[in-house]
Amino acid sequence: MPTLNLIQAINLALDEEMRRDERVVILGEDVGRRGGVFLATEGLQAKYGPDRVMDTPLAEAAIIGAAVGMAAHGLRPVAEIQFADYVFPGIDQLFSQAAKLRYRSGGQFTAPMVVRMPTGGGVKGGHHHSQSPEAHFAHTPGLKVVVVSTPYDAKGLLKAAIRDDDPVVFMEPKRLYRAVKEEVPAEEYLLPIGQAAIRREGRDLTIVSYGGSMVEVLKAAEEMAAVGLEAEVIDLRSVLPWDKPTVLASVAKTGRLLVVAEAPRTASVASEIAATVAEELFDQMLAPPLRVTGFDTPYPLAQDKLYMPTVTRILNAAKRLIDY
Amino acid sequence: MVQEKLAFEPFSLEPIRLIDPEGRWIAPFPHGLPEQTLRQFYRDMLAARLLDEKLVILLRTGKTSFIAPHAGHEAAQVGVAHALRRGHDWLFPYYRDLGLVLALGVPLVEIFGQTLGNAKDPAKGRQMPSHPGSRPLNVFTVCSAIASHIPPATGAALSMKLCRTGQVAVCTFGDGATSEGDWHAGVNFAAVQKAPVVFVCENNRYAISVNIALQTASPNIAIKAQAYGMPGYYVDGLDVLASYFVVRHAVEQARAGAGPSLVELVVHRFGPHSSADDDSRYKSQEEREAERQQDPLLRYQRFLEREGLWDARWASSLRAELLGELEAALQTALAAGEPEPLQMFDDVYATRPWHLEEQRRLLAEELKP
Ligand SMILES: Cc1ncc(C[n+]2csc(CCOP(=O)(O)OP(=O)(O)O)c2C)c(N)n1
Repeated sequence: MPTLNLIQAINLALDEEMRRDERVVILGEDVGRRGGVFLATEGLQAKYGPDRVMDTPLAEAAIIGAAVGMAAHGLRPVAEIQFADYVFPGIDQLFSQAAKLRYRSGGQFTAPMVVRMPTGGGVKGGHHHSQSPEAHFAHTPGLKVVVVSTPYDAKGLLKAAIRDDDPVVFMEPKRLYRAVKEEVPAEEYLLPIGQAAIRREGRDLTIVSYGGSMVEVLKAAEEMAAVGLEAEVIDLRSVLPWDKPTVLASVAKTGRLLVVAEAPRTASVASEIAATVAEELFDQMLAPPLRVTGFDTPYPLAQDKLYMPTVTRILNAAKRLIDY
Repeated sequence: MVQEKLAFEPFSLEPIRLIDPEGRWIAPFPHGLPEQTLRQFYRDMLAARLLDEKLVILLRTGKTSFIAPHAGHEAAQVGVAHALRRGHDWLFPYYRDLGLVLALGVPLVEIFGQTLGNAKDPAKGRQMPSHPGSRPLNVFTVCSAIASHIPPATGAALSMKLCRTGQVAVCTFGDGATSEGDWHAGVNFAAVQKAPVVFVCENNRYAISVNIALQTASPNIAIKAQAYGMPGYYVDGLDVLASYFVVRHAVEQARAGAGPSLVELVVHRFGPHSSADDDSRYKSQEEREAERQQDPLLRYQRFLEREGLWDARWASSLRAELLGELEAALQTALAAGEPEPLQMFDDVYATRPWHLEEQRRLLAEELKP
């Protein structure tokens, strides 16, 4: 089994899907000749030609909007937005067209498409190369939202996203692109969208997280284990739909919930999970749910490291839950 | 009379050029510029080039995380800087404009402070390097999101018109920016309202790796102006005097109430798109070498030589002087240190709401030794 990093796993998934299905096309800024600024599409234009791997003008509205039309007409487009921060010029197409086409047309037209984008901070990219806008997408009915954290998941989930009959926003934490490596089967496999992964079993508290923050969460869980505190760690993988049964079962067992994510706190995915768990499991809980998140400020370059959830912050929150 | 001669033909098929590659003045009018101004243009171009080289060193030594090289754009940028009234008109620049904002008077210490994201950055280290801005000089803070500053430039110009301030807004961007919806929306609105704004495209024919042929099917950028009902000027941006005179013409037209125009300055980008890019992936060695042969500094040097205004001793003492200024500013900036961490919570709103107050308190607690 080859050992791949996240970006290689994505490249492999795209390659396999393009080979399998002629309808799969890629479009975006710099995806062709350059192979994407992070090289996710490297080599694909040479293999499948410029009609199927298309360098587009610098226009996210055109990229996402054209993908809607391609999808409605029968193709399976995979659009790349160079950074999640640059989805905003294309947001009208994503929100007004892609997300609601099925609903608006009573199911007559659909937009089976994927919009891939690098997300999150930790790369000294400053404000516009570091944001985590998943809550905007999750707040938009009609979209599915996937945020991966491992190469294995990235391959299986991207392939599933391409075959999904709905528009899927596929978010890739850029700080993990080359930081995580693992064995990724060269054979075909799919992972269901909407299913979380339990990264670590434990009885004392449940930590729910996803994307880039998984790194700090797993480190914190190890430090907890060293002092005899067993955290159950859940990687959501899909933030919409999110895997409520897995999260509820875990919190029912541990009685404590900590949600960790680097997006700003207010009206976030973390808030949604905390609220849902409080609603459903209030009388079984030993402490109120807590969130460790980014601050409610725009993402600051100079305070990059302080902005994102740190291991210390996660440990402090866990202590608060235990001591409650 | 002179004014008439200085007027330029919009939508020309050949780029407007006043100095040929051998440095000969080929315009149908005398340039009429004093020696001091001609020398200042050279000084500003050289300062821009040396700044670019300094930034490469900062990157290589790990002192900064990002640069967007502007070498090749110097003639265009210096031309633009001198065409507007410093501190009176507004500039809406983009991330490749460090040479332009330097020529406009943004202090080197601020440019380095912004590059280092430290306490000398007037913007407090929020954005990545190459994102300057200066309230005192009316330089609108650069935003990474391509073309997002076009509608604001139109809006500022409309305000200038409504308030009758006699100011003009000058807005720069690359060729890639002309594909964004924001570009079309902003340019169209400005034309309809005859807003006093000049749109300047520094066209280096690449948006990262994407060649202009995949960016637009128009024969050039300037011609797009036709569709919006305003003049478009197609200019050799490696010629500092052509850049200067054409942009000045457009600025004065706007100031006189004639409305906006689009100026395309065709340049080369000698370096990669940014420090995160490898241009050998999409530009051949030959192409890159051929571009380097057409150095805007060299062309202008030849012109000055013909005017009897350039000699090697002057140039080398100028270089030494500029290097000294650069180094001194860099040392001052380097000494400034990190911005204070709790500044993270400033400027989100005019006054901090309770939730930010709360988050600030938590971090302050955490940072206690
Ligand atoms: C809305 C948006 N999409 C994508 C990007 C990523 N990006 C940064 S610079 C760039 C190319 C810009 O090219 P151009 O406008 O021609 O200016 P140049 O860099 O060539 O001077 C791209 C695609 C961005 N900053 N903003």
